[in-house]
Amino acid sequence: MQMPNIAKTLSEIHVRAVRTVVEEVHVEGGSVTAQPWRVAASYAVLQNPWLGQGTTSNLTEYAAYAAPIIAKELAGRLLESLGGAQQVAGFGKAAVVGLDGEIEHGGAFIHTPYFGNLFREFLEGSSIICFSESRAEPSQSLRVPLWHKTAAATRDYYQSMEIHLPDAPHADELVVMGLASDGPRPHPRIGDRNTDPAVTLAIFEEGS
Amino acid sequence: MKLRKITTIVDEVLAEGGAAVDPVARTAVVAAVIENPWKDQGFVQQLDAGIDDVAPELGKLLAPRVMEALGTPLEAYGKAAIVGLNGEIEHGSALIHTLKFGNFFRDAASASTLLPAVEKRGPAGIVFDIPLKHFTDATIRSHHQSLEVRIADAPHADEILVALAGASQGRPQQRLADLSTEQ
Repeated sequence: MQMPNIAKTLSEIHVRAVRTVVEEVHVEGGSVTAQPWRVAASYAVLQNPWLGQGTTSNLTEYAAYAAPIIAKELAGRLLESLGGAQQVAGFGKAAVVGLDGEIEHGGAFIHTPYFGNLFREFLEGSSIICFSESRAEPSQSLRVPLWHKTAAATRDYYQSMEIHLPDAPHADELVVMGLASDGPRPHPRIGDRNTDPAVTLAIFEEGS
Repeated sequence: MKLRKITTIVDEVLAEGGAAVDPVARTAVVAAVIENPWKDQGFVQQLDAGIDDVAPELGKLLAPRVMEALGTPLEAYGKAAIVGLNGEIEHGSALIHTLKFGNFFRDAASASTLLPAVEKRGPAGIVFDIPLKHFTDATIRSHHQSLEVRIADAPHADEILVALAGASQGRPQQRLADLSTEQ
């Protein structure tokens, strides 16, 4: 099998900066967590390669070249932050496109196997990865969802992280982000689909 | 010290102004969000007891973490205290502007200069900029720099956010003439 041509370094794909943020929550709602809950995000800020090419241009060719090294570099930072794949319980991903780009450009990076499959494999997950994609000016914050890496419907692991993006993305850039957490929400107590009663529209009926 | 959360941020700048930065410029921040030690006490004239209780513990917590997050020898550093809306800016200053706090970072970084600082009061999620200067000579112009930080959901009204920042280098692409050339 011929291996595809992929970028080997972040510089080859014009990455300007990488930021990694790790939150460690010791107390929530006034009560100490069983153990500190850690959630981490790592993102790369890079030039948008598709500006001015119109809405019919092919996006997958460059994504196949550029997204794998991003998946590798971001996953590496997350694994180092949390202590390895065995520590990772939840995951998520995000793209933020600068104002001159299309949201589809962000999707090309995070919604194709060249990022998603590799990111999942690095984190030793099997679920679909939940996500956020948007377009924004620099220095905004975004909130990105995460869920369990092998059991996506496990409610205790529905969680989010808020990340600030100082000075990024510029209009001709985009941000590609991966996220990981090491456990469920602090103090989870809202049940699960396995224990929920059956809730249907019938509850609106008189006398029900 | 009542700690709610710790946030660590590591920045790597690979390019600036369209030109590569080599080696990659690294900057790290570690921020702790704690309960204001003077909360619900009205105007406290003598802050010493709270300082003695909390400042050394904060310094011990943050200094090794920021050195580890930076992962390279440190050349520039700075600090921040962001006070929630029910507190005084003086409360934040009390926690960061004594040797009982700063010396932990100076010792960990083999540094000798005063740490430049930002102190302000604001709502949770306020954006602040941490100034950094050279770790042994604050007049070294190449190392004057700032880092933009926003910690989501902190500080609450009765909390204080205290942060340390370190950089592996001066500004990426720094190329201003040294102060001595103008004297």
